Amino acid sequence: MSTTAKQQAQKGAGRKLLSSGRGAVSLAVLVILLGLALAVNFGLVGFDPIAQTPSDRLLAPNSTYWFGTDQFGRDIFSRVMSGVGSSSLISVVAVTIAAVFGTLIGLFGGFYRGLIDLFGTGVTNVLFAFPPLLLALTLASVLDRNWFTVAVAIGVVYIPIFARVTRGPVLSLREIEFVRAARSTGMNSIGIMFRHVLPNISSIAIIQIALSLSWAVLTEAALSFLGLGSPPPAPSLGSMIYEARTLVLIAPWTLYAPGAIIVTFVVALNLLGDSIRDILDPRSREVSS
Amino acid sequence: MTAILRSSVIRKTAGALATLFGVAVFVFFMLRAIPGDQISASLGTEAAGLTEAQRQALVEYYGIDEPLTTQFFSWLANLFAGDLGFSVRAQQPVLDLTVAALPVTFQLAVFAILLALIIGVPIGMLSASAPRKARDFVGQAVSLLGLSIPAFLLATTLLTFFAVNLGFNPNGLGYKTLFEDPSVNLQQMFLPSLVLGFGISAPIIRTTRAAVLEIRGQDFIRTARAKGVKTQRIQFRHILRNALIPIVTMTGLQFGYLLGGAVVVEQIFSLPGIGRQVLLGIQQKEYALVQSTVLVIAASFVVINLLTDLLYRAIDPRVRAE
Amino acid sequence: MTQLKQRLNAPLKAIALASSAGLVLAGCASATEEPTTEPTETTSATAEPEPTSGGSMVVGITVDPDTIFPWKATQFQAFRMLENVYDTLTAFDADLNVVPGLAESWEVSDDGLAITFDLRDGVKFSDGSDFDSADVKYSYEAIQDEANAAVARSTLGGVTSIDTPDSDTVVLNLATADVGILANLTSVNLAIVSSDDTEETLSTATNGTGPFVLESRTAGQNVVLARNPNYWGDATPLDTVEFRVLPDEAAIAAAMSAGNVQMAVFSDPITARTVTGDVTVNTTPQLSYHALMLNARNGSMTDKNVRLAIQCAIDRQAVLDTALLGEGAVTGPITSPAFRSDPNARPCPERDLAAAAEYLAASGNAGGLEIDAIVAQNLYAGAVEIAQAVAAQLAEANITLNLEVLESGTYIDRWIAGDFESAIALNGGRPDPDGMYGRYFPSTGNLNQVSGYSSETMDALFAAGKSEGDPTARKQIYADVSAELEDNAVWVWLFSGYTYTATSDSITGFTPMTTGSWQYLRTTGLK
Repeated sequence: MSTTAKQQAQKGAGRKLLSSGRGAVSLAVLVILLGLALAVNFGLVGFDPIAQTPSDRLLAPNSTYWFGTDQFGRDIFSRVMSGVGSSSLISVVAVTIAAVFGTLIGLFGGFYRGLIDLFGTGVTNVLFAFPPLLLALTLASVLDRNWFTVAVAIGVVYIPIFARVTRGPVLSLREIEFVRAARSTGMNSIGIMFRHVLPNISSIAIIQIALSLSWAVLTEAALSFLGLGSPPPAPSLGSMIYEARTLVLIAPWTLYAPGAIIVTFVVALNLLGDSIRDILDPRSREVSS
Repeated sequence: MTAILRSSVIRKTAGALATLFGVAVFVFFMLRAIPGDQISASLGTEAAGLTEAQRQALVEYYGIDEPLTTQFFSWLANLFAGDLGFSVRAQQPVLDLTVAALPVTFQLAVFAILLALIIGVPIGMLSASAPRKARDFVGQAVSLLGLSIPAFLLATTLLTFFAVNLGFNPNGLGYKTLFEDPSVNLQQMFLPSLVLGFGISAPIIRTTRAAVLEIRGQDFIRTARAKGVKTQRIQFRHILRNALIPIVTMTGLQFGYLLGGAVVVEQIFSLPGIGRQVLLGIQQKEYALVQSTVLVIAASFVVINLLTDLLYRAIDPRVRAE
Repeated sequence: MTQLKQRLNAPLKAIALASSAGLVLAGCASATEEPTTEPTETTSATAEPEPTSGGSMVVGITVDPDTIFPWKATQFQAFRMLENVYDTLTAFDADLNVVPGLAESWEVSDDGLAITFDLRDGVKFSDGSDFDSADVKYSYEAIQDEANAAVARSTLGGVTSIDTPDSDTVVLNLATADVGILANLTSVNLAIVSSDDTEETLSTATNGTGPFVLESRTAGQNVVLARNPNYWGDATPLDTVEFRVLPDEAAIAAAMSAGNVQMAVFSDPITARTVTGDVTVNTTPQLSYHALMLNARNGSMTDKNVRLAIQCAIDRQAVLDTALLGEGAVTGPITSPAFRSDPNARPCPERDLAAAAEYLAASGNAGGLEIDAIVAQNLYAGAVEIAQAVAAQLAEANITLNLEVLESGTYIDRWIAGDFESAIALNGGRPDPDGMYGRYFPSTGNLNQVSGYSSETMDALFAAGKSEGDPTARKQIYADVSAELEDNAVWVWLFSGYTYTATSDSITGFTPMTTGSWQYLRTTGLK
């Protein structure tokens, strides 16, 4: 496939996504959630997610506090939405880190082979040898904690996946005619890599990005559940659920709201990931609907 | 075993060893970057009252007086002698602790995988039997939920529900091994493996469904159908058997993940498994414990992946020919 | 929720309070509580049925003891276990009076420089060997030896020599009079071990003179104590006590509700109240205190007016209500009941923004001021909430408190180094005020760099307090210390919290101590 044809295919993908039922629904859910997160962030709806109102402690959902309040009288709706916001930010940054570094490792390794490849594959294998959550856990305890270091910890875990999925296609692309042709015209190799090879592996990377987002959200939540996420009082869905464990008997809404929202959020991300994969990777469509 | 297979075994094993060395380097130096040492971890701010001589005595007590590289190589040398280090806190060799913890996680992982297969394979086959029909959507919905419900949420909800509403809280009894008390042990493993099994059933459903759909479209099935072989027979004899290859691969992969990935569930249900050992070690800054345990987990992970890979090569003729 | 009985002890009931040194670290991190060690002949008179002999009990804990060697123990859980295994020369009763322990009586010489202890007769270690004065001399000299890195070395810092005229008598010779030492000797960090034992032998097994012995210990899972058949006092009603590790307080509450655990201490009142079934929850005030520590040697904190402005701008009760749901009591520097500071004896007993503005103007910062504060994360509950509430109030006084939320290891390192402008802290308290602040505020104290303050007045007061034998005069000295601390706004003392002891109604004879000590496990039994 030539570069231009590929780009056209990707342009069409957006339209296809909207016309597929799952894609449209999941996009709509994500837009609503993120919209609410932004609205809370800019103070358009809800309350300050970390402001404590002691007189309004542990109130059940009502017209003022849509999802109720927690033990400090904080608005759970605002906290949940703000948690969705920070979780999205961390996940997007984490996946970006993973995609950029992983793709570069795959690209350089596959294109130049030799020592570069050996080193890249070595690093990939080492990172792959860790069960993902364990690696994130260890990294998160090393770094001084804020939202960015949490994102780095999660991102590092997913670097090897991107390196693996891109390296293979690069290996075969470098042998393909138009790349050889470009070489023979004396174009430098960096130019070839970014002008010709990178665009051709972009759909693979995009599919992987789409699939990784939901993992990143879940990993971030698991880390904050274990007390290794962004430091409090910043709201995080995982730590809200952790705190709700002790409250669930007397104030069950403290568990329901973050629980329901995180499941909805991850379901939407998974559906979106599947839809994007189906659209960009025709092979998968037949078997995985 | 063919020559190709044998050389690939050797190559893969050498690669695995190199990888484990990388893991050792990575783990060792990463842990040293955690702020605070074992002295401040165990004494807290009380460490401020230590005199210089006392601090020196403690540094030697915890074995953190040597330069880092010396510590690293003596650790490696000891590993080859079967000495994983000593936990000052537990006053026990790390090897003993690991030998006690590994079977807990192993048992949990086996149960979780079994439950995942019991849930996943039938649902995957049902889904594939009528693509894009109602039962396919139900199957896919189950797998979507399995992928999307965080293990800690499910675990928390189940634990609270069972403990409060049914008075069922076997995990509060203190862990019992299968040999000490089989009945209590199985009860203690039930909810945790259900939580993990539900999560893993998602990729199993997807893999089963995809594999069945792919095989069904292949020539030999069409031929069998044309010959009038019964549908049920085709389903089990031909399709499932061939679909097993990717399912086995997926299962092996998930088993490896579980060794470290069960940490959240082990923590919630107070199971003294290998993941929890790492988590506690990190909290208590017991480097000797964490570094060796992580290495053991990584080694098991690498070995399981290697075995899965070899198994896959052995049973799939296409791969062998490559 | 069925029958949840709750008995709230009035916070100010004249029961004595917890002792702790340094900063109290909740949960997994090491805590530095120093509870008491000894039983008393007169346990507090509650009209409960006599416990039956025999049976076992399970106590829920979130972290297992990190050591079983008493001289190095600093963690709550280790203290709570070890004080039931080892004895000390002196002990506290439930009201924190110093009472006999292994010493039956003692006499202080007229110049205060020698204390002669008459040891209890017929005491045996749990291995069956006899206890005598040589064991006391051996233990104290080993604790004094820097190479052993014993935590309580400084308590014996003023002891120049130890004489043993006979096997029944021990004499401590002091460099200067030290009235507080009798109370300080109660710490299990000064446990008497057999002269045949070493740190090595006592790291894997216990050999004490206390009511229990260590039966088994499984790292990360449990510790089991069994009755010591050689104990010199009344035999314990319980055959065994298991300290069972459950991952957090919610899991302990669930296990208590299901009847798997009979006793636990909760730091969170909401969790304590979620326990269902026949359970009694006792609320116990603590000696430890929350404070905004100001480092008077650092930046703008050197100006007394700035510190006073901060003190006047904070409404302590409001911070308590917001961050700890009002579960605690506003306090001054000294929390021990016998020496308690009047929480209102300070320049601004109530929040006074006008006064704060005046002080701020006097310091030349009329336009406002920025201060950095370190806050610990994952070290103890409520730190971040307290920091936020304090910051919110200071903001109204034109003072910006920049919160640096730090991972516990980093926080401890900076706390120890005194590397902060201000710090949100939970510090331990001790029954004796010299034990509590003698390390912080005299210029020679080993935590003086952390306190960030010293003065000649302070040095003189602490020296006088150490040697004053008359209780009334001594009380006045520490009232002066308190006033000096508050008038100079050395730190801002906020409030003390509570702990919540939940006990199943199937057990009897347990008295929760305000020290947090579990020494009454020795009188606890099943109904």
